[in-house]
Amino acid sequence: MRRVGIVGAGGISRTHADRWNQMPGIELAGFYDIIEDAAQRAVQRSGGKVFGSMNELFDAVDYVDVCTPGTAHVQPVIAALEAGIPTVCEKPLANSIADCERIVDAAERTGTPLFVAMVVRFFPQFAKAKEVLDSGAIGAPGVIRTVRSGSFPDSSVGWRKGLAITSYYADFAQSGGVLLDLCIHDIDYQRWCFGEIERVFARGMMFAGKEPKDHALLTVRFSNGAVGHIEGSWSYPRGRFSTRIEIAGTGGIIEWDSRTRPPVEVALAQEDGSLASSGSSPTAPQDDPYYAELAHFVRSTETKEPFIVTPYDGMMAVKISRAAIESLETGKPVNIS
Amino acid sequence: MTRELEPLTEVRLGMFSFAHMHAASYIHFLGQMEGVTIAGIYDDDYDRGGRIAAQYNVPYFRRTDGLLDQQLDGAIICSENVHHAPLVLQAAGRVGAILCEKPIATTASDGQEMIDRCRETGTKLQIAFPMRFAPPVMELKQQLDSGMLGEIYSVKCTNHGWMPGRWFVDHKLSGGGAVLDHTVHVVDLLRWFWNTEVEEIYAEVGYELMNPGLGIDDVGMLSFRLANGVFGTLDTSWSRPDSYPTWGDVKLDVLGDQGLICVDAFEQNLQVSSDEAGKTSAVNWGSSGDEGLVADFVDMIRKDRAPSISGEDGQRALEVALAAYESARRAEPIALQV
Repeated sequence: MRRVGIVGAGGISRTHADRWNQMPGIELAGFYDIIEDAAQRAVQRSGGKVFGSMNELFDAVDYVDVCTPGTAHVQPVIAALEAGIPTVCEKPLANSIADCERIVDAAERTGTPLFVAMVVRFFPQFAKAKEVLDSGAIGAPGVIRTVRSGSFPDSSVGWRKGLAITSYYADFAQSGGVLLDLCIHDIDYQRWCFGEIERVFARGMMFAGKEPKDHALLTVRFSNGAVGHIEGSWSYPRGRFSTRIEIAGTGGIIEWDSRTRPPVEVALAQEDGSLASSGSSPTAPQDDPYYAELAHFVRSTETKEPFIVTPYDGMMAVKISRAAIESLETGKPVNIS
Repeated sequence: MTRELEPLTEVRLGMFSFAHMHAASYIHFLGQMEGVTIAGIYDDDYDRGGRIAAQYNVPYFRRTDGLLDQQLDGAIICSENVHHAPLVLQAAGRVGAILCEKPIATTASDGQEMIDRCRETGTKLQIAFPMRFAPPVMELKQQLDSGMLGEIYSVKCTNHGWMPGRWFVDHKLSGGGAVLDHTVHVVDLLRWFWNTEVEEIYAEVGYELMNPGLGIDDVGMLSFRLANGVFGTLDTSWSRPDSYPTWGDVKLDVLGDQGLICVDAFEQNLQVSSDEAGKTSAVNWGSSGDEGLVADFVDMIRKDRAPSISGEDGQRALEVALAAYESARRAEPIALQV
């Protein structure tokens, strides 16, 4: 039995805690949060105990899962690594490149396993698309396009009510807006698929004074000459969240769109004569992307095999997101060093 | 109450070259229109011109002069891009109206000379942008005009295609690959939607990226800002493999503060799986923009009115495509004169 402690009791900690609670051989030891009330609420819904300090949590666990906002990763992650505890760090690795470098240095210096939770690599359709690309079925890399667009993640959703995280997202200086919070997934995924990125050019609303709305269209050039496009949005109408993949190669193309008809569709006649319809695309519990990423962390740590996402990958995703923000500010393409 | 229908004035048209496949679609729809006579076909390719002339039972002309002598009301030019300029310059003043396939020309100076000559000779010059007549795009135009989206933030566009081969990939004849071929269609729509201009363009252009050895650009990823403040991107790539179910797409996602409108102009399809073809194809049943385009051209001649899509419209779209190439060469955004 391995014991996991979660640092940071915000929104994503609930998602992680639910998966830890499903995982055989794992016991959720509890939560530490600088806001003790938040840790208390997390314990009430997900179990475990409230730890009074980070060190108290470190003493009681085999793994640490850092779920604080990106601005508050550097301290708990480095402390956990220095304590020799294998660690999961929620994305982004950190909000600044300097913090990313400090974390990557600490991981190398201590040799403690650090997994960056770039969950999109574990979404089954995204993972399968990468597998098909790698099989050679569509030839060499040409043009990759991905979309990650929805409405602003505000507190109108019941369980988010009262969470400080909402004001964090809306403060673009903190969260980095869609480019650092959302597009970072696509940047990491596209880099995973097509290799190193040479330069980016961005247009978007981050500095348009429309907070909390944000929207970005990103143009990517890869070192191998291939080209990418990323759309990320917090400006879509509510209920219209969508993700898409399109990977075109020299000998074929892979496409997926979350808006295509789901495998399960329900159409119910309402008493007032209207129609209520809904759809779902269920998968087995182990294929849930959050479960899959955490299970990958445990399995790779136990077998001492490398993670699919390295600390360096986590840092590069932040560097490229930051370069995109710089492109917005300067109006010029930005080269990735 | 019944209304006396006036007989339609006969409109005599000459078709100049079938190098561009749109010519086949134009002659098909013109052939169904009342009062329209195809007076003849000119083509520098004897086999192609003769075959199509025989198919439509119209005279074939080996020289442009022969066809221009046929008392034409209008000329329809569907040659290779580089021949648009000489054909328009020959026809201007000898016909009252010209419908020229897009792009207007391969260089800005050619385009300007065509516009000037047509103006000097009183010839109406219309550029063939059939997407303005595709019903899903027309509906989007109405929705935008209604203001239902509120303040417009951005527009994400694609005009993907198969790699067309033939003269399209010969720079001497086409003047450019995927960027020139597909930029002009969508830029024309954006200018039309908002009566605006592209103010700044940045582009990543891929040369023979999808088709090694092609010798011309086959990938274009454009990022633009319009003079009305709307920003957007346009993917012009020939990124559809031969095995793809359809030739490509024209897609426009317009985002505003009140919501989102997504248009996929060629999404009215049957799915057809054929052992003979060895694949599943999308067979479009939607209304053709080409029909609206040629009907508009004939209507312009009959009513002696100004073209709905002018030579200047074609020239502005060409300038954006040329600036996209320039941006890619310099790896920086290019400001256009607005």
